[in-house]
Amino acid sequence: MHNTKYTCWNCPAIDLAGKVDFRACGQSVKQFDKTLDSSQETHIMAECKRRPELGLYDPTAITFQECPQWQETPYGYILKDMRVMILGIDGYLGWTLALWLASLGCKVSGVDNYNRRNWVKERGAHTIVPITRMNERLRAAKDVLGININFRQIDIYTQRQRLKEFIEEVKPESIVHYAEFASAPFSMIDVEHAIETQKNNVLGTLALLFTMRDTVPESSLLKLGTMGEYGTPLTGRPLFEGIFPAEAVLQWNDREWSLGGELTPRDPVSFYHVSKVQDTFNVYEACKYWWLRSFDIMQGVIFGVHTDQVAADPRLRTRLDIDEWFGTIINRFVAQAVIGIPLTLYGLGKQIRGFIALRDAMECMTRLICAPPEPGQYAVVNQISGIHSARQLAYTVAKVGKEHFNLPVQIQRVENPRVEADEHPFEALYEKLPKRYGFEPKVNIEEEISRMFELFLTPEVKKRIEERKQVIMPKTWWSGVKKEVERLELLDLKGEIEEDERVRMFKVHG
Amino acid sequence: MSECECLRFTDKNFKQKVLECDLPVFVDFWGSWCPPCKMVEPIMDELAKHFDGKVIVGKLNVDQNQATRSMLNISGAPTFILFKNGKALAKIIGARSKKQLLDFIETALNPQSSKTSKKTVSKEPERS
Repeated sequence: MHNTKYTCWNCPAIDLAGKVDFRACGQSVKQFDKTLDSSQETHIMAECKRRPELGLYDPTAITFQECPQWQETPYGYILKDMRVMILGIDGYLGWTLALWLASLGCKVSGVDNYNRRNWVKERGAHTIVPITRMNERLRAAKDVLGININFRQIDIYTQRQRLKEFIEEVKPESIVHYAEFASAPFSMIDVEHAIETQKNNVLGTLALLFTMRDTVPESSLLKLGTMGEYGTPLTGRPLFEGIFPAEAVLQWNDREWSLGGELTPRDPVSFYHVSKVQDTFNVYEACKYWWLRSFDIMQGVIFGVHTDQVAADPRLRTRLDIDEWFGTIINRFVAQAVIGIPLTLYGLGKQIRGFIALRDAMECMTRLICAPPEPGQYAVVNQISGIHSARQLAYTVAKVGKEHFNLPVQIQRVENPRVEADEHPFEALYEKLPKRYGFEPKVNIEEEISRMFELFLTPEVKKRIEERKQVIMPKTWWSGVKKEVERLELLDLKGEIEEDERVRMFKVHG
Repeated sequence: MSECECLRFTDKNFKQKVLECDLPVFVDFWGSWCPPCKMVEPIMDELAKHFDGKVIVGKLNVDQNQATRSMLNISGAPTFILFKNGKALAKIIGARSKKQLLDFIETALNPQSSKTSKKTVSKEPERS
């Protein structure tokens, strides 16, 4: 177990209130207490909220393995009936994680303001996998999986008092923050959409951080970031996991300094990505000022439709968007293949990104919930399981569509409406989840694409793709131009992709 | 908390394990809220292996062990102090690469034969 040796110091059931001294690196302690008794083993004494009978004790003395409150699961020791609150529980990730964690024995609560449903509707799009209203989803979860989810409709920014009351009522030991808009093109439509994205994401997160300080400061926060914060530096410099290792050295004028512990450079590629960068700083500061503990999870591009729980019943399915604003690339490609639209590569189509399947992302989140950071620790992971180019993915989707479903899939290059490098080096590090938290990817990309084809080819889903096929081709230009992108060429990619894979693909520390 | 190769010192054992130790002792004073401290963690384990039997390498959490922090006037994290015969021989504050820490320790222990460039390591006198 990756968290066997963790102690109460990491446990969100610990009560450190009034026993810590909030400082920053390099900040002096103004008043030294010369009377401290050095005969004591430790001066931080904690209490356990779950086991008050322990009284005041040394929080490093009991390990997760030894504590009866921590129980073994396939993903590490987890608190018995752990209280996890998911913000954005109605979304693609939120709903899937809710069912996953509740099935694992967690007491899941969640909030949502239905923004995702509303904004997708505003764009004239819809989820191609039909989902019901929240009440019906909750009933289905109870009927099919026997799980209870405690849900409230709350906007975490505008209804801060309601959120605070709900958190005080539930006292979550872990908070998963998925309550953000995850669309670059949406934030680039016009000033209103840019403002709405940044307001929702940046201010919502800021409000949450203050609420956590005042209600559950020991709770562990899992905040969803994005690999897109880093950009794609043309030097090919590795994309570290958020923070420079101590071995990264800055050399200048014959002198050198360790960059260890400093945030790595960010180069966001849309106003949405800027909101995530701002979040990073807000979370980082909150950990520093108030000893909150947080994972900033730099997730790669997500794809897929399957977990055992969402596939258990049609009423339990999670939403899936394929429109130009909310559809991620693989999900969109499969939908295009199903209704005969050539898969769209933007520009050269040689953009390279990190990816992760829905099921694997759920496992990663669970492993991180099992391994809360230490008090005040701002930790970062790059949550990806492989690296692919857009061309390589188009080819894979075309191949699966042709070979397994007999679909005549074509691929086209269109004008790139974004401002981005469409040919660039890419070396992302993703060592922590496998090495520290025991994660091994389980999902084979071709198998998951196959599953997606199966679902998308069912009459109801295929009909829903057909109904909204006009929102797949991009019309949102970073430049502000209002026009649909034009096709540059139809491609026969086979030979080129093989070359591309051999020369350019590299998987680092997978 | 991950398993580590280096020792963990506390208020209770600091006198015996550090100040009264026959070998030089290199101590990392760290806090869990300090990102540079977290990034130096693996290096401390490597130093422990590197100096096996010659220098004791360990760390002390400044929040869990406030008496030692107070006694040594630790004002920032990470602070590294090399102790020899109960005395602080040299001290630096802030993250360093492995090479810089190796140079720091070797320079402090062998001031005459050091090949270290003074530009890469700043050495401060012990203040307490």
